[in-house]
Amino acid sequence: MDWNATLEFARGPFFTAALFVFVGGLTYRLVRVLTLGWSRDRVPSAGSKAGGVAKSYGKGLIIWPFVPWVKQTFAGNAVTLIAGGIFHLGLFAIIIFGAPHMLAWKSMLGFGWPTLPLPIIDWLAAAAIAAMVALAINRVANPLLRKLSGPAEALNWLFVFLPMLTGYMTTHHLLFRYEVIYSLHVLAVDVMLIWIPFSRISHFVFYFFSRTIHGAQFGKRAVTP
Amino acid sequence: MTKGSEPQETIYEHLRSKGVSRRDFVKYCGALAGTMAFCGVPAPVEASGLPASLAGPQADATPLIVRAFETKPRVPVIWLEFQDCAGCTEALTRSQSPTLGDLVLNEISIDYHETLFAAAGFQAEENRDAMMQKYHGQYVLVVEGSIPVADGGIHCTIGGRTALDLLEEAAEGAAAIISTGNCSSFGGLPKADPNPTEAKGVWEIITDKPVVNIPGCPAIPEVTTAVLLQFIVFGTLPELDDLNRPKTFYGQTIHDRCLRRPFYEAGKFAKSFDDEGARKGWCLYKLGCKGPTTYNACATIKWDAGLSFPIQSGHPCLGCSQPNFWDGGGFYQGQSAPLNRPGAAAVGVAAAAGAVVGAGAATANRMKKRRAGSAEPGDEDA
Amino acid sequence: MKTTRAIDTFVEETGGWVASQLEACTRCGICAEACHFYQATGNPDFAPVWKVELLKRAYEQEFTLGGKLRTMLHLQKKVDEADLEAWSKLVYEACTVCNKCAMVCPMGIQLGPIIHDVRAGLAEAGMVPDDLAAAVNKQIEEGSPLGVTDDVFESRLEWIADDWEIDLPVDKEGADTLVIFSSIEIMKFPDNLAHIASILNAAGENWTLSSKAREVVNFGFYEGSADHTRLLLSRVFDGAVELGVKKIVVTECGHAYDALRWTAPNLMDVPDIEITHIAAVLGEYVESGRITLKAGAYDGDGKITFHDACKIQRRGGHIEEPRKLLSILAPESFTEMTPNREQAICCGGGGGVIAIKEADPIRYKAFELKIAQAEAVGAETVVMACSNCRLQFLDGAEHFDWDMKFRGLAEMVAEAME
Repeated sequence: MDWNATLEFARGPFFTAALFVFVGGLTYRLVRVLTLGWSRDRVPSAGSKAGGVAKSYGKGLIIWPFVPWVKQTFAGNAVTLIAGGIFHLGLFAIIIFGAPHMLAWKSMLGFGWPTLPLPIIDWLAAAAIAAMVALAINRVANPLLRKLSGPAEALNWLFVFLPMLTGYMTTHHLLFRYEVIYSLHVLAVDVMLIWIPFSRISHFVFYFFSRTIHGAQFGKRAVTP
Repeated sequence: MTKGSEPQETIYEHLRSKGVSRRDFVKYCGALAGTMAFCGVPAPVEASGLPASLAGPQADATPLIVRAFETKPRVPVIWLEFQDCAGCTEALTRSQSPTLGDLVLNEISIDYHETLFAAAGFQAEENRDAMMQKYHGQYVLVVEGSIPVADGGIHCTIGGRTALDLLEEAAEGAAAIISTGNCSSFGGLPKADPNPTEAKGVWEIITDKPVVNIPGCPAIPEVTTAVLLQFIVFGTLPELDDLNRPKTFYGQTIHDRCLRRPFYEAGKFAKSFDDEGARKGWCLYKLGCKGPTTYNACATIKWDAGLSFPIQSGHPCLGCSQPNFWDGGGFYQGQSAPLNRPGAAAVGVAAAAGAVVGAGAATANRMKKRRAGSAEPGDEDA
Repeated sequence: MKTTRAIDTFVEETGGWVASQLEACTRCGICAEACHFYQATGNPDFAPVWKVELLKRAYEQEFTLGGKLRTMLHLQKKVDEADLEAWSKLVYEACTVCNKCAMVCPMGIQLGPIIHDVRAGLAEAGMVPDDLAAAVNKQIEEGSPLGVTDDVFESRLEWIADDWEIDLPVDKEGADTLVIFSSIEIMKFPDNLAHIASILNAAGENWTLSSKAREVVNFGFYEGSADHTRLLLSRVFDGAVELGVKKIVVTECGHAYDALRWTAPNLMDVPDIEITHIAAVLGEYVESGRITLKAGAYDGDGKITFHDACKIQRRGGHIEEPRKLLSILAPESFTEMTPNREQAICCGGGGGVIAIKEADPIRYKAFELKIAQAEAVGAETVVMACSNCRLQFLDGAEHFDWDMKFRGLAEMVAEAME
């Protein structure tokens, strides 16, 4: 197998196609929901909707176990909350502040930013991968999560896990020659990009809907969201 | 230039005839053994004719070389140039160990080389034809430059014949073929998109002969000479990888052996060619270095007698020894970046297509909502 | 046919508001730990995310290309009548629509209102549990699920006025404020009427009761049927409009307040009348000095704690007023349960659950959480501002033979007025 050609394909036409599917697919979902019709909320507010929304985002970001309002549900969801938190933290830190990823953004956006040293990225990556494994085990072990999981959930996990695993292996030159594992990494990312619009991984888009609604609902009742 | 002695006389005889003493001869063989050492001694015992105890991997290569030079004639070499810049030849003239002079005067007899030849025109062509006939099946064919195959190969002709024709003719009687430089290995610059001449590397055309690819722009001269030397001493070619490159020289990436690697690990990068990082010798990854995917020996053998190599001198690796390196994204664009920056317009079209389908689905859904609403039972209560 | 009706309702109820939240769900399951029914039983069916699964499936099958494809390839089961039956048990019997799940959802999805939409579809399909459906019919026909007909209303008021020697104005022309009680109060906690009347009189409020808008509870809202909810709401609004009042005070009833204050304007055209809850009124009277309370009136009577009702506190917004009152009435002995305020655990009887006999076992199971919570702080009295909660506490205490005093907030205020 000609891995140089595979790499060129993955970084070139396949990536472009994946990006188009990603953008087109997400726009489809977004527009389909946005234009489904929104009835005006005619209920007179007792508090500030905008204030509620601001608090809702503030609280949404601080979902760590030591925070009082999380503590109460923590015991039954320790794995989901801790592993989920570490996974998201690691993921975003790496795809934004990892040097190779920043360069990918830079090539598309036209500007770059400072990056984190490899040892930090590396530990975050290892932690995020371990967290994903923990989440997978938890999803199988927990009766509720087992009930909620079907093929879609398994594929969601797989298509996010593969880029992370191959990314880690690429950095450490594990098992394969560099261009082989690097090709696999880029291919995995391309596949993930294609999968996202058709899956619940796209919650990063609808998160902003539900969090805003949450803040507005409690804000208008003058209740801390 | 090569109208010297008959190639049939052994190398040792050739050297003696030039007044080299036995003592100097052995010293010279010792020096060459140094070159061979980084080649690794592949120990083809039959080729050397020595007992196995002397020819093992740990053995000093000097006796092998002495023995080979005492028994073998100089190897005739035909050097063809096609779509090239003669840069690989230029580089070869700067080979340090052995020097080209040593090679030509001592171990090989270059019987045809357009750049180095004094002869020209029909005279040179005739000489080449004579050599190919005389040493049929014995000579080494070195090719520099890519071979265009578009339009019957007319984009590169020499003496009225196409490169393709000349290559096929010369390859027919060659004992081994060495492609030196990226062009003859993988097509190089002439193959760059859109590749109007349909340039190809030798191994894509000649499939029935052993072809050693020594890619690079230019090829590291010591690698070319080392491969020639191995063929002379042992009569063998080095072990090759799946791209026909000698594993010894192309087994590791530039990144693997880079002197700036610790800075990569520490996340210390030069961000421009004249910033603090550049002055302090930090990693050039963010300036587009292709070291991580480039297999070559630049970082170890270096250039000009081990003086330096591009990264050491402050320039990111261009990946010149990799296939299609001209089309591998910008030289100064991060190597993790997608190859082509998708245009905003194209992305916009994708988004617009998504929006149209989404709006269509939503319209159908809204109509469905209206129908459901009017079919609602119990309206009379409202 | 039933399925078609349910799906039609789901289709009608699902706009961008519901769709965007269904799309946001990651199926992480965290909401389960907030649900008192799941916590009490560990039954994964009771996870809020699973309760909205029916609507989610209907949404995907009706509105999305992916869902249509999946059903076509038999990767997803089409919603059928068996599903409606199964979910009827989940959303009516194992959910009080308290919306605590929304507080823990990392995405902030409003699971309570969405579960209400599931109820809406089931109500249109006629899949409401029999007990609840009977109560709805009774309210539509007689004006009250507890049988407070015109005659009963009149005689009860007469008896209360006599017994507590209190003035209870009915249909008073020119009154500013219409006070509407729930039939639970009229029938089971008549002292509440007397106490609230005495407070209003003491504060010099120009108030009245209405013979037309005499029932504030709205079993159509429990059931989820928009039409029934509107019908019952319109009785309240019509009575208020006839009297020309400026303000409606909802007494100690949670879901009625939710329906009138926070839902009605989005369901129908409502008259321009301020709607408020008695807890807020009490807070305002004390704040503005219209009534004065004996400070520390309940100190020395054992620890007192406050139970937050889901529809009055978390979904109603009147979290601080009761605490202000209690910090005056019992500064020493008032103590908070954990969790409290908007994070409070629901009593387990709201949302119509207490009206469904079949739900009794899990309702009691959920109430155990409440017992544990109150006992953890060593409370001897639990105060609340919702008579539905009070009904659940009384019933639960009897069931578990639990020695605990329960009091209404208004009652405590009334008895401590100077």
